[in-house]
Order: sequence, then structure tokens, then C-alpha cells
Amino acid sequence: MDIVHNWLANTPDFAVPYALAALGLIVCERAGVLSLGAEGLMLVGALAGIGAQLAFGEPAVSLLLAMLAAAVVSLLFAVMVIWLRVNQVIAGLALVFFCQGLTALVGTLAQWTNQATPGIGTMALWPFSSLPVVGRLFQQNAMVWLTLPVFAAVTWCLLRTDAGLRLRAVGENPQAADAAGISVSAWRFAAVLAGSALVGLAGAYISVVSTKLWIAGMTGGRGWIAVGLVIFARWSPWKALAGALLFGCIEALIPQLAAAGVQLPQYFVLMTPYAVTLGVMVWVALARRGGEGEPGALGVPYVREERR
Amino acid sequence: MAWHRQALILAAAIGVGLLISAAILVAAGVPAGELTNEFIVQTLLDGQNFRAVLFQAAPMILVGLAGAMAFRARFWNLGLEGQMIWGAIGATAISFFEIGPPSLRLPLMFLAALAAGALWVLGPALLKLRLGVNEIISTLMLNYMAANFLLHLVYGSWKDPKDNFPYSPQFRAFERLPDLFSGVNSAIGLAAVVALLGWWLVGVSRAGLYLRFVDANPRMAQAAGVPVARVIYGAVLLSGAMAGLAGFAVAAGQEGRLTQAFYQGYGFSGILIAFLARNNPLAASVVALMVAALFVTGRSLQVFYQVPFSMVQLIQAVIVVCVASSDFFIRHRLRRVGTGAA
Repeated sequence: MDIVHNWLANTPDFAVPYALAALGLIVCERAGVLSLGAEGLMLVGALAGIGAQLAFGEPAVSLLLAMLAAAVVSLLFAVMVIWLRVNQVIAGLALVFFCQGLTALVGTLAQWTNQATPGIGTMALWPFSSLPVVGRLFQQNAMVWLTLPVFAAVTWCLLRTDAGLRLRAVGENPQAADAAGISVSAWRFAAVLAGSALVGLAGAYISVVSTKLWIAGMTGGRGWIAVGLVIFARWSPWKALAGALLFGCIEALIPQLAAAGVQLPQYFVLMTPYAVTLGVMVWVALARRGGEGEPGALGVPYVREERR
Repeated sequence: MAWHRQALILAAAIGVGLLISAAILVAAGVPAGELTNEFIVQTLLDGQNFRAVLFQAAPMILVGLAGAMAFRARFWNLGLEGQMIWGAIGATAISFFEIGPPSLRLPLMFLAALAAGALWVLGPALLKLRLGVNEIISTLMLNYMAANFLLHLVYGSWKDPKDNFPYSPQFRAFERLPDLFSGVNSAIGLAAVVALLGWWLVGVSRAGLYLRFVDANPRMAQAAGVPVARVIYGAVLLSGAMAGLAGFAVAAGQEGRLTQAFYQGYGFSGILIAFLARNNPLAASVVALMVAALFVTGRSLQVFYQVPFSMVQLIQAVIVVCVASSDFFIRHRLRRVGTGAA
């Protein structure tokens, strides 16, 4: 019983980074830019967040600076894929490796590695928090509660506003969008920057809020899992949120099993998030929903001069 | 565009990449005057360091070839590290369980590494061709799983009972790749042979012609009667086998045992080498030598100037970004547009 209790209570903490990263990726990919750089941008966010925490000790400032840092680094990617029309897979991979090298280097040189930071406090959502059994589920840190309105707001903007419609038009059919007077490059730039800021926030959540310290490569493939999650969710934000909760559940279960003294081979347990990602990808493929939901111009550079 | 202008742009891109890298190194605390000394004089002209470069180059060439082979088939094999891990595990299993007589042990380890590497990429290949599962994600996920399995072995049943460090027991003398001549391991010879075979396969053989056809235009190849699926399977499995061989080269040529983090940095290097060499096997060998020199320099910078080794990865990424971006100037001609026309 205690296990289930703790497991439920810890799930949101593990689900938030997946939710935010997937949301950022959806913003970017709905505009037609295939963003494989999430793993790298999460690292940038995580490092910037810890750096700001150590310098100012103010979590809100740290999280905002982390978003800013990820957006600035993503400019490099945006210039490559939007202006220079570099293959988006190559550019995305290059961005990941660039960020991995950069963050490991800066983290070591600035001596931010393994420095403990205070983190942020929990907020109980009264009266739900005093309920029996599920009460602890409603005692979460402020960022968990903040994630829900952020998620809802971004989703609303994307799916229900004029700006969101323009962004999606650019990703669905850039030729038509261009003919309608929408600047494809400008909207794609905006989408990459905004999406990357959210991905950076996801990384900063891991370092500033969850683990409260920086270790090189600490995201451990979560960015790639988020990329898989977006495919699983067919580019729909709410489905991505459900997927994030699923992965949060799985990750939250691992320490609970260990604490309960369940004897499982440790390294096989650590494989589960990756195995589940693989399983989910196969399941989506088997469900034969092929191209459904995929933005029409995903991964295709737009060259105005080649407009037909 | 004429080839010499292309070469000029490419050289300029690499030059810009190196300049940025030099700036980063200086910012990280390496004296500017020492840079050329470290990279060129110390690494390439000093006999002992040059042997270290050759030593490092053997697995590097093999992962570069592995990358080039898969990318030719338009398959993003990002699982080079996972296949390398399995290659090393396969080879080590032969040694650990003492399979076969001593005289056949090394060939058996070689074959086990080939098979294990190829098998680890078979899953993503089947999933991609049968179900259309994105191979970028599937191969990457398998990397993380292979890395955890490696830890399971070296921290578990394969741990060396002699000193309880997380690595497998030392290979016996007949299980290690011998030295060709003083200080130069035969792993580099093996890599050179594989590179030549790769060049023959891609450039000369019928299968290679098919592969280039698929690379250029899969639909057209299908229409012309090329067995596209078989060509892709063949190239991808070969890619996995080569990556497995890289694991064998590290385990049997360098470390003499299975260690916990030997594969780190090879995955990206393999992709970078294939990309810079435009998937050409012989060019890949040359680029791999450069990358090996970068690795050796990176280690000495780590020792002498306390520059973290992640610097090597950053420099590689900077060069890829520059070269990838330079493609724009090869494919497009920029012209000033008069004020009225803009």
C-alpha cells in the first residue's frame, strides 16, 4: 500500500520534464521543423538553470534563464535548418552533440558539477491534499502546478488562436501559407525558439527542481524519449501529456521497487524507459495510423524560389 | 559547380571550424602559441604519439565505415555504440566461456563480434522496413539498453574475480590481437583491410552498384528492378557487423578485456566521419585518422592543461556544423539584388 501511495505521489515529478519537452517539440514540429535536438537543449536548460541557481538562488529566475539559454542555443539550429536549409536530421544531431560537449565543458570549467542547490518547496492543493490515500498526490512543488496552466495555455494558442493556425499552416503546407502572406521563415524561427525554450525548461526542471544538482549528461536520453513520445502522441498535445504521465509512472516506480526491497536486476530495471519507448513506437506502427497527425511538411526545408 | 570551388568552400568551412575550436580552446585556458605545437608537432610528428594515433584510429575507421555503409542505404544507424558494445560482448563471451581451441579462439571472437553487432541492428532494420518504425529512435534506445546490459555484465557475473574492478577478466595472450611490428597493433591492419573491402564492395561490386542506386533514388531503383529491401538489409547488417568489429578491436586490440565505458564517443565520431567523408569508405579512413589524432590531442590537453575531454566532442560538433552549413554555398549562388528588386 505504501508503495502505491509513494508511487502515485512521485509520478507527476517524473512526468513534468517529459510533458514540457514533448510540448516544446510539438510546437516546433507543427511548424514543420523536425527537432531532434531536444536531448541537447534539455542539457543546456539543465546547466543554465543550475548555474543561475548557484549565482542568484532564485528558482523562478533560474528557470527563466534556462529557457532563455536554450532558446539562444537553438538559434544556431534555426539558422542552419531555416536559412541554410541543412538536412534537419544532420542539424538536429549536430545540435545534440554540440550541446553535450558544451555543457560538459562549461559545467566542469565553472565547477558547477555536483554542487547542491536548495530546490523549491512543495505546495499543497487544499482541500484535496487532506484526502485519505490520494492526499499526497496533491502535495507537489510549485512547478508541477505551474505546468498544467502552461500546458493548457500553449495548447490553446497552438490549436485555437490565429497565431497557432498560422504556425500550423506553415508546417502543413508552406507553399499555401506563403501565398496567403504568412512568412514561413519568421514563423518557423518563432516556433523553434519558443519550442526550444519549453524544452530548456524541461531540462531545468530536472536539474533545479528534481535532482537539485548538475552532472554532465544528466538527462540520460529523456530528450530522445520525448521525441519518441511526440510520434506516439501523433503530434497532439493532450495525448503527449497522457504519454508523459505513462513515462512518469514507469520512472517513479523504479526507486519505489528498490526501496521496497524487491530483488530485480538493477540494470534491467534501468532499461525499462528505453524498452517502453521502443515498445510504444512498435505499438503505434502496428496500430496502422501511419501518417495520421504528422505535419505535412515535417522535415522539409522551404525554398521559396522552388515554389511550384 | 566546378569541383575545385567545392573543395575550396569545404576547406574554408573546416578552416572556420578549426578557428572557432581554437578560440574555444584558448578561452578554456590553453595558451594560443601552444595550439599548433600540441596538435601538429606533438601528435603527428612525434613517433610515439603517432603510434598512439594509429592505435586509436583502428576502431575509429571501423565505426566510420559502419556509419557510411548504413547511411548509403538511407538508414540512420545511430546505434553504432550499441552494436559496438555487443561486438565486444560477443568477443568477450568466447574468451570468458573458453569456447574453441586456443588456435581458433581469436577467429571465433572475430566472428562472434561480427554476428553480435549485426544482430543488434537487425531489430531496428526489420522494424523500419516492415512497420515503418523510425530507426533514429529505435537504434538510440537500443544504445541505452546495450550500455545498461554491459554494466550488468561487468558489475555482475563477468566481474574480474582477481581485483573486483568492474571489468571482465584479462584476455589470454592468444586471445589478443598481436602487434604487427614494434608498438603497432594489428587492429589498424584489420581496419585497413575492412576499409579496402568496403571500397571494393561499394565502388566496384554489383551489390555496391545497387547500393549507390538505392542511395541516389530508392523509388527509381525499385522501378528498375533492384532488390531494394535486400540491399538495405545487407548494408544495414554489414554496418552493424562493422560496428561490432570496432568493439572487437577495442576489446582484443586495446584493452584486452571488456570495460564499462570503452564505447563512449565512438557513436558520434562514426556519424561525423561518415558525414565528412560523404559515405566514401576510403575518405572515411582518412577522416578517421584525423579524428583519432584529435582524440589523442584531447587526452594530452586533458593531462597538461586540465581541459575536460568533452572538448573533443565540442570541436567535432563545431566542425560538423560548419561543414553542414557550407553545403548551402555549394548548392546556391548568392547574388546581390538591386534595391528596386528587393
